Amino acid sequence: MMRHIQATCRAAWSSIAARLMPVLLAFVLLPAGPAAAASPASIRVGYVDLVNAQIIAMALHLTEKAVGVPVTWIKFGSGGDLNRAVAAGQIDFGGVGNPPAAIGITRGLPYEGIFVLDELGPVESLVARPDIASLKALKGKTIATPFGSTSHYELIAALAGAGLNPADAKILDMDPPDIFAAWIRKDIDAAYVWQPVLGKMQASGGKILMDSGTMAKRGYPTWDVGVVMKDFAAKYPATVVAYLKAECQAIDYWHHEPKKAAALISKSLNLDLTETEREMQGTYMIPCHEQLTANYLGTPGHGGKFAIALVATAKFLQSQKRLPEVKDDAVYEGFIDPSFLQKAVTP
Amino acid sequence: MTQFATIRDSIMRGAGKTIGRDAGNRPARAAGRAATQGAASRITLPRGSLERLLTAATIAALFCAWFLLTRLELVNPLFLPPPAAVWQAFITTSTEGYQGSLLYQHVLASVERVLAGWLLACVVGIPLGFLMGTSTRIKAVFDPIIEFYRPLPPLGLYTLIVLWLGIGEESKITLLFLAALPPITISATEAVKSIDRRYITAVQSLGADRRQLLRHVIVPACLPGICTGMRISLGFTYSVLVAAEIVAATRGIGWMVWDAAKFLLSDVVIMGLIVLGLTGLALDLVLRRLERALTPWRFI
Repeated sequence: MMRHIQATCRAAWSSIAARLMPVLLAFVLLPAGPAAAASPASIRVGYVDLVNAQIIAMALHLTEKAVGVPVTWIKFGSGGDLNRAVAAGQIDFGGVGNPPAAIGITRGLPYEGIFVLDELGPVESLVARPDIASLKALKGKTIATPFGSTSHYELIAALAGAGLNPADAKILDMDPPDIFAAWIRKDIDAAYVWQPVLGKMQASGGKILMDSGTMAKRGYPTWDVGVVMKDFAAKYPATVVAYLKAECQAIDYWHHEPKKAAALISKSLNLDLTETEREMQGTYMIPCHEQLTANYLGTPGHGGKFAIALVATAKFLQSQKRLPEVKDDAVYEGFIDPSFLQKAVTP
Repeated sequence: MTQFATIRDSIMRGAGKTIGRDAGNRPARAAGRAATQGAASRITLPRGSLERLLTAATIAALFCAWFLLTRLELVNPLFLPPPAAVWQAFITTSTEGYQGSLLYQHVLASVERVLAGWLLACVVGIPLGFLMGTSTRIKAVFDPIIEFYRPLPPLGLYTLIVLWLGIGEESKITLLFLAALPPITISATEAVKSIDRRYITAVQSLGADRRQLLRHVIVPACLPGICTGMRISLGFTYSVLVAAEIVAATRGIGWMVWDAAKFLLSDVVIMGLIVLGLTGLALDLVLRRLERALTPWRFI
């Protein structure tokens, strides 16, 4: 019996080896790789299902039309998950909030920021039980938020603004659907979270204590930045410009056709139409030419506020022991590369 | 009285038909001993020392590979940080803590959860297995339940448990309990079913009552199978630990690994995994000792 098994194994191995041999030989014999092609065979875009103009680019196939190759859209639960996919080299384009971006840059992820995906307003808020009157009253309470996200960042900053340390409350790491379940079961007293869970919590008695629009005015802006893998951008710069043209088109559509945009997004994300419209109001889409001003990305050589905000985010995360170190300012400034967007907006 | 004890001793010596999973091992070991005695001149290494050498060499080789890969900068430190960074993470977490708790507190929180779930499973599973082994009707009731949920992925099960029991310790311990229950119940059932009928008839013919039957025959005959089941079960429980600590934990070694991965702190992740593995080994070692103490006749 044993010998039989051994023989079978050996046969299996030799057949695998026989099949692999040509592949291995090809690796050894071929030169380091073909010369840089004009465009890739296909592109992979990672996204988080937030209400923003990227969903329009996806639904209207604007991206496919612009880049001229098939596009695979890969959904992620949060920017943190998307970072992990970037680390594993599984996507070409993506989008992350400023905290995951600060984490990714500090930890050396090989990507760069090329456009503003959205700016977060009241679409992310701190919602609490009605008997909790102020931020200070959160002392000793149980608060949930997805760790490593823009909401987590705003929560810690909001608590700090009210003179509370993270240790003064019980802060739990949960994904939005789990947050809603825990809220219904009364396991948690408050949560900093985004729509649509935010709206559901309000509908079942939750009261807004703070929102990301107000936090932005207090010096803690949160936004999502579109990223591209550095290798990809170096190899296929024209594809990156084409990709951005589609994104800019979608942002214009958002502004010029709000009704149609809402209908499209609501259908794509399986969201209620009124819910979608409310979320659209809480999210700011920045027209591409405006992104190239000092308030956002700036222009090549003249960095904008985004680079400054990234440094601030990294320092804040370090003070909360969420990052072991903060790199030199130049590293964060170097992450933002507005040159592709500049080419995309100039006709 | 003493006759029963004699039969119990004969079970323990493995006279006649041997018992439980170890059955095949015993004659082989005896034969091995005989062979060693017969051919003393041919012995080169004491038994097991080559194996130990191989184990040590494997660990050393893995460590050297890790050291060289990172030293020669062949891999991105984000994926595989050098041993020194992992050691540093160990020191920092032990002295300053990770997110508010020291390393030993994370380990303790996890071990407490695992032991709570596992002990609960032992308390429920062993009697349940006994009953299922003695009565086909009881088996018919519980078997479908256990067999159905056993292969379900723990994370899938967990989402439902969180909905039902909330985010506190109850849901975490319940998940661990559910992971621990099937192996222990199944092995208890099998242990009871495989008792040699001749022992039972023998003590009964000598006039033993149910209590004596249980004490002198059934329990000693089942112990080896149950001990093995308990060890396997603890392994299962341990492997579900990270899943159990993903939702709303603030402490625990599984949670630490999960949280550190979110912030791309791979040195903490690898350190946590090593600690997780060593803790698991330590728990298994304790159980092996216990097994030796409870069923010494299997280790002669």
